Amino acid sequence: MSIGRDGIAGLILLAISLFLLVKSFQLPSLPIVPVGPGFYPAIVLSLMATASALLVLQDLLKRRAPAGAVAAPRRNYRRVLIAFAIVGAYVVLLPLLGFRVATALFVGALQAALDRPRTVRQWVVLAAIAFGTAVVSYFVFERYLLVLLPRGAWTGF
Amino acid sequence: MLDLLWNGLVNVAHWKYLVPLFAGTLIGVIGGSLPGVTITMTVIVVLPFTYGLDPLAGLAAMTGVYVGGSTGGLIACCLLGIPGSPASIATTFDGFPMARNGEPGRAIWLGVWASVWGGLLGALFLVFLTGPLAAIALEFGPWEYFSLFVLAMAMVAGLGESSLLKGLISTAIGLLITVVGHDPIGSVPRFTFGSTFIGGGFPFLPVLIGVFAFAQIMTDLEKLNSPRGEALQSLANVRLERFSHLKVNLEIFRQPFLLAWSTIVGLIIGILPAIGGSASSVMAYDQAKKFSRTPDRFGKGHPEGIIASEASNNANVSGSLMTIMAFGIPGDAVTAVMLGAMTIHGIQSGPLFISQNPDIAYGIYAAYILAHPCMLLICLALMPLMLRVTSVRMAVLAPVVLVLCVVGAYALNNTMQSVYVLLLFGVVGYVLVKLGFPLAPLILGLILGDQIEINLVRAIMTDANPWLFLTRPISGLLLLAAAGSVALAVWQHWRHQNRVAEEAPDF
Amino acid sequence: MARTLVMAGAAALAGVLAALSTPAMAQYPDRPIKMIVPWAAGGDTDNIFRPFAAELQKHIGQPVVVANVSGASGTTGAREAKAAAPDGYTIYAVHDYIHLTFYAGISDVKYSDFEPICLVSATPSVLTASAKTPWKNWQELADDAKKRPGEITVGATLGSTSHIFPAMIEKAAGVKFKFVSYDGLAPRMNALLGGHINLTDSNLTQKGKVEAGLLRYIAIASEKRDPEAPDVPTLKELGMNIVYEVARGIFVPKGTPAPVRAKLEESCAKATKEPSFAQAMKVQGTRVAFLNANDYAQFLAKIDNENKVVMTDLGLIKK
Repeated sequence: MSIGRDGIAGLILLAISLFLLVKSFQLPSLPIVPVGPGFYPAIVLSLMATASALLVLQDLLKRRAPAGAVAAPRRNYRRVLIAFAIVGAYVVLLPLLGFRVATALFVGALQAALDRPRTVRQWVVLAAIAFGTAVVSYFVFERYLLVLLPRGAWTGF
Repeated sequence: MLDLLWNGLVNVAHWKYLVPLFAGTLIGVIGGSLPGVTITMTVIVVLPFTYGLDPLAGLAAMTGVYVGGSTGGLIACCLLGIPGSPASIATTFDGFPMARNGEPGRAIWLGVWASVWGGLLGALFLVFLTGPLAAIALEFGPWEYFSLFVLAMAMVAGLGESSLLKGLISTAIGLLITVVGHDPIGSVPRFTFGSTFIGGGFPFLPVLIGVFAFAQIMTDLEKLNSPRGEALQSLANVRLERFSHLKVNLEIFRQPFLLAWSTIVGLIIGILPAIGGSASSVMAYDQAKKFSRTPDRFGKGHPEGIIASEASNNANVSGSLMTIMAFGIPGDAVTAVMLGAMTIHGIQSGPLFISQNPDIAYGIYAAYILAHPCMLLICLALMPLMLRVTSVRMAVLAPVVLVLCVVGAYALNNTMQSVYVLLLFGVVGYVLVKLGFPLAPLILGLILGDQIEINLVRAIMTDANPWLFLTRPISGLLLLAAAGSVALAVWQHWRHQNRVAEEAPDF
Repeated sequence: MARTLVMAGAAALAGVLAALSTPAMAQYPDRPIKMIVPWAAGGDTDNIFRPFAAELQKHIGQPVVVANVSGASGTTGAREAKAAAPDGYTIYAVHDYIHLTFYAGISDVKYSDFEPICLVSATPSVLTASAKTPWKNWQELADDAKKRPGEITVGATLGSTSHIFPAMIEKAAGVKFKFVSYDGLAPRMNALLGGHINLTDSNLTQKGKVEAGLLRYIAIASEKRDPEAPDVPTLKELGMNIVYEVARGIFVPKGTPAPVRAKLEESCAKATKEPSFAQAMKVQGTRVAFLNANDYAQFLAKIDNENKVVMTDLGLIKK
């Protein structure tokens, strides 16, 4: 009997739901509403806690295939981490640099991270795509569709 | 009635109306096909342009956006595996696998034609049943709504391929996301831990875009360099295979029951206020799977899944139009904007609307019907251009799609808050997919969460007797159906496991 | 090497883009103005401010873009407006809820966090009954309510205008209602048509449904009877001293320069005088009610105090 991926996920979810369940009982209620704001979350969380507990149980009772029987395809998790980090940086910089600058930098950076250009020509294409995305999306949204995009707190642009 | 409809058609078949209708449909198809740009956003963007038009011209443009948007979503579904708009979520389940199996053309055109036929079938109901059908929706009190939502979730929790429990947990996570923030009744902050960031809650669309778009793009990125990854990447370079429209249509009409039932599911959900295209697509998909002779093939590129989802989301439009026309009650955000446009033009919506403004009412019917051929023409003409979007390398496509997602989230409320939510749930969605949790139940929980709570509390506030949920006939029937649906799913699952056990006894 | 090249290129790009942007405050306004409407598109507030934005745009000479920043009883939009740069490029479309959410403890944003520009419109509340109820007029309703205290259901957005208005009637008439949470006018109308609630606060936009016999107007909370609905008695006629109109106006964040505010105020005054705006307001069951910045400030102080008193009386106050 050993714990697997599902079991660990179940345990984490169980912990979260029990923690929030306690929190939901502490919510203040309103005089004119017969059930407090914690009533419905408590139902949902009880459901989640029960299902998570069952998932852990199911996982513990499951007979497992011997390890290494299935050859998983090689996955590049490092690339995913880098991509998330670049998106994170974009989101942080967006209100500081403004939409146009931040978007040009983001599109350029993520492209370079995913598929590093090797020749000068490829770098030029990359820069053109980055610049083009920023300019075209700005014009389409802000000028034509009248969606006002974030302006930079640092750049005022 | 038919002569009124004929007059409406003749009326709308005039440049003054055809041009806005066509333009609206075009903008709808484009807006719908861009992931992160929803139909609601597209229609809001079109709204200011309609102020200068005469009322029917403006409404025709919006009807076009609605119809075009409901179809446009499928292109991104099939080619990118990301719903172009929430209304086409379920199209992803089979459209994307089919495209990956080397039949992107079949996937897309099955969807487009199913949309056309589902929409036109919906038009029949729209014209003839607007009055009687909407009267039923009005009888729905908070008890009936609550029970209906429970039924919807019970049906979708059984949708998950891997595990019923995981589907259930996924639903609960979706419901839990809607709990965070100020409670919908008395605005008491819940689970915010004093943070103003969480204080506003998690708006639906950024969560949806985050969960779907990030999970998809990131899983694609991690495979980019592996041997299998090359095959996936090459999908982006694929051209539509040669195929015949006749064959696709035969494929749809070979199963008239599927088409009719998906249309009716979409229609009913459209009529009921508060649930929109996304729920109808997912529910029709689930229904198709339950009734299918080949449920095992769903999720692997089965045409039935695409037909169900696409027929229902276009029929859903006609259902929403019914509710808005008979009662002046918007069924979803898109019709809410249309209602706003009507009032700005000085048209009183409500029960007298059809009798007092027959030319506008039948004009809307006509616009709805004519929007479908327009949409078909646009798809025929623009498909090569649309495909170009996906013939772009992943390294270029990923950043551009992510930028659109960010803009879509930002423009929804014009705040960075939504963008932060987008990123947060991008991570959550990716992790859940990696752990093998299905995303569809989560999305349904997310769509219905607030409404379930509000209707539950309303019912209790109106009458403290909890048995009313069972003793009110419609509500009782719906709950019974919910229980039946869960039992069926458990039984199917159990039977399936037994069969697997027989086939592989010494695992 | 390639990386430094990119960095340099990016920096240069950023510099060029920054240089392209014009220096601020050349001549206000030189770019589009964002109008924060703290409710969803298609709602009654949105329906009033969209035509207003169109008129304002005509007189201010730059696009006025409506941004629906909805959520959390309108407080998301209020917070956003408060945090916006005080440069006149973000204006805030507000109504009485700003006082109520503050006193109910839902939000810490107060009306005095802003500079008032002008009052735009006033929408009188109308007490409306479902056609499935037996009452033909206020007297029958009041008699029934006295017989069955706490049983007549009223749909309301709790702690907002639709709650305060019936609660004021409760107090004036000495009756007790049962409140059920229904956020927004559209869901309330739906429930009222289906008979799932008995009463609610609405306005003259629902006239069509009343004429069709699906709803009944009981009483209007204006000073005088409205020419649009001459048969509906005022609460004053019925012996209750209640005038309740939802007042909608424009704010800017505190610290906005005086010349900018003057420009906005002047454009607002012109916009509200447009006959097309009056026509647009008529279909919204609303009257145009312009007040300049000074008068509006006094009006706000008065309303804020009144709301505080009502909320205290009702026991809803948390601050």
